Amino acid sequence: MSIEERTITILVKNEPGVLSRVAGVFSGRGYNIKTLCVAETTNPEISRITLTSNADADFTEKIKKQLDKLVDVVDVLDYTGERFLKREMMLIGLRITPDRYAELLQAVNTFGCRIIGMQPDYYIIETSGRRSENDAVFKYFQTFDVEMMNRTGSIALPRHPQKDSA
Amino acid sequence: METIGADIVLQILQEEGVEAIFGYPGGNSLPLHDRLLGSPIRHYLTRHEQAAAHAADGYARATGRVGVCLSTSGPGATNLVTGIATAHMDSSPIVALTCQVNTSLMGRDAFQETDIIGITLPITKHSYLVHDVNNLATILRQSFKLARSGRPGPVLVDMPRDILAARCERAAPRQEAPEATVEQSPSDRQQLEKIARALNQSERPVIIMGGGVKLSNSCDLMLGLIEKGGIPFTTTMMGVGSITSGNGYDLGFIGTHGNQLANSIVHQSDFILAVGMRFSDRSTSLIDEFAPLATIAQIDIDPTSIGKNVKVAFPFVGEIRETISALVKLVERKERTPWMERIQQERETTDNCLPYKGCGKAGHFISLVQDAMPRETIAISDVGLNQIWTMRTWKARTPRSLITSGGMGTMGFSVPAAMGAKIGAPDRSVVAICGDGGFYMNIQELATISYYNIPVKIIVLNNGHLGMVRQLQDLFYESRFSTVDLGTHVDLVTVAKGFGIPARRISVDDSPEAALAAMAGAEGPYMLEVMVDPNDYVFPIIPPGHPNISMIHGKIC
Repeated sequence: MSIEERTITILVKNEPGVLSRVAGVFSGRGYNIKTLCVAETTNPEISRITLTSNADADFTEKIKKQLDKLVDVVDVLDYTGERFLKREMMLIGLRITPDRYAELLQAVNTFGCRIIGMQPDYYIIETSGRRSENDAVFKYFQTFDVEMMNRTGSIALPRHPQKDSA
Repeated sequence: METIGADIVLQILQEEGVEAIFGYPGGNSLPLHDRLLGSPIRHYLTRHEQAAAHAADGYARATGRVGVCLSTSGPGATNLVTGIATAHMDSSPIVALTCQVNTSLMGRDAFQETDIIGITLPITKHSYLVHDVNNLATILRQSFKLARSGRPGPVLVDMPRDILAARCERAAPRQEAPEATVEQSPSDRQQLEKIARALNQSERPVIIMGGGVKLSNSCDLMLGLIEKGGIPFTTTMMGVGSITSGNGYDLGFIGTHGNQLANSIVHQSDFILAVGMRFSDRSTSLIDEFAPLATIAQIDIDPTSIGKNVKVAFPFVGEIRETISALVKLVERKERTPWMERIQQERETTDNCLPYKGCGKAGHFISLVQDAMPRETIAISDVGLNQIWTMRTWKARTPRSLITSGGMGTMGFSVPAAMGAKIGAPDRSVVAICGDGGFYMNIQELATISYYNIPVKIIVLNNGHLGMVRQLQDLFYESRFSTVDLGTHVDLVTVAKGFGIPARRISVDDSPEAALAAMAGAEGPYMLEVMVDPNDYVFPIIPPGHPNISMIHGKIC
């Protein structure tokens, strides 16, 4: 059975401790959570957790059954594969000197990132896109003096809403 | 007196029909224990919170009702953990009420503070921390519902002291939402027809029943299915006692310490109907070699149990009673003469190849205990050799009359669980059968038993050792005994008498009639210590890591 990165999205009731319970199901069954993103939905009583895990094809079915047992879990959907658009965001803080301003601006334009923080000696770049694109952008900016980096987990949506996206 | 949170707790407990709870007070439980004085609910003060949890569990297993245990915060709550885990593994419905430090102190490492919700996350079906006294009634009602519905299990409610002491209104009466009757869906109907067809066409079918059959009160329906279809059956250890009539289709129970006939027939079967059992490693032994010729149909209320350990061709998620009621209509009787003859032949060669069915003198003694006790006696085993001897020897006459900690295998379970069972089922006799090891683990409960004069009978099969571990070391570690000698220097009879319980010692070789009569005839509690040779083991067993057909019958020298 092939191991690949699976993306699961879980709708949960916004009760204290629900994230702990969900994470506990993964760790208790020996699954690793690679990335994680969680926020309220348009309904403040419901949050959406999106996470990725390296696992085989059985994984989704098994973990869905385990998660469905939790009282606060409302729905579990598999967002792995071509039918879904998956994106991540990254912030890069780098030290800059005046002689490199122009080069940086050109890179930012080429890559389609944004400069969101600008101090004479320190810029913060925001980039979003596929993980591979963000990785490539980060690799480029490492030619500058990167001080800090922070990146999110994946979020995803189906390319087109349909009933059987579980 | 004004209504406070503590009154709400007692109000809801009464509403749920709880007559008895097991617990232990502390600083943070004071508001609740104070209000208990005015309540008709009986609170049994155990001598350790672990015993309170086991008692609630024993109460639940003997009666089918939700058992309740109560502790204070910190160490009181953590002492419940083993009992909660035991109930969780065997899907037993209990509600554990833990008191917590004041909300203003939470998270500050206060005196006797612990994150009991965090600690019990993996061993509870669900848990609640009460933040607002006005939610207390809803949370408690929901807890009871969760504990007993679907696949039952323990639910924990953590209640801060200030919430228990907070003034509030009496809870409004429960809104009874009418139970939605679920119509069988067309795809369910189709799946059942497929299962029935496969079963009807099979040449060598076997039914395997687990604890789920008893939990769903489906024992009578299963008997109907077995007799209509003429299908041989076996159980897991948790399913022992589901079918109480000797009807010739009974193969015994499967697994590491089960009956050789059962393991062998399952191995040869071409179709297995698994009902309310989860194919635990104890039942299947080596999975890769389990039932190699069988197509498996599995019926369970919990989807996570289906196909988790073995490949299932016909999964069916559903409530067992409803499902079997529908299935029995589709099952036809088929005279599977070659299969039944083969079973009969094997039965003749395997069943009696060892004296006392492999349970030795202690096993024989247990059958004498059963003869001396009334017919509807509830027997509760501990864990280890005593457990296997009991599960293989005691003939369950009603579904809830043989109780054991199967999934967690918790030593020290029998005595407190017997307490809980007796309190839940006062009209039935209750006997706890344990070894010396398990007896020590909750020995302090002898004080509880004598204080309340709870007439449980306790049999201590004393071989001076941790018998099961000793057997495994003897068989698989070249008799290198390590850390299993408990000694026989402790005079357990004097100890029991010191706790206020009449007691007597005999050897398993003695004629037991007088001792058994004294025990059975005693008005109150009674302890009978039976000295057993440490070299008396239980056979046959499946050696670790071997398939279920490789049972050994004795020590290979």
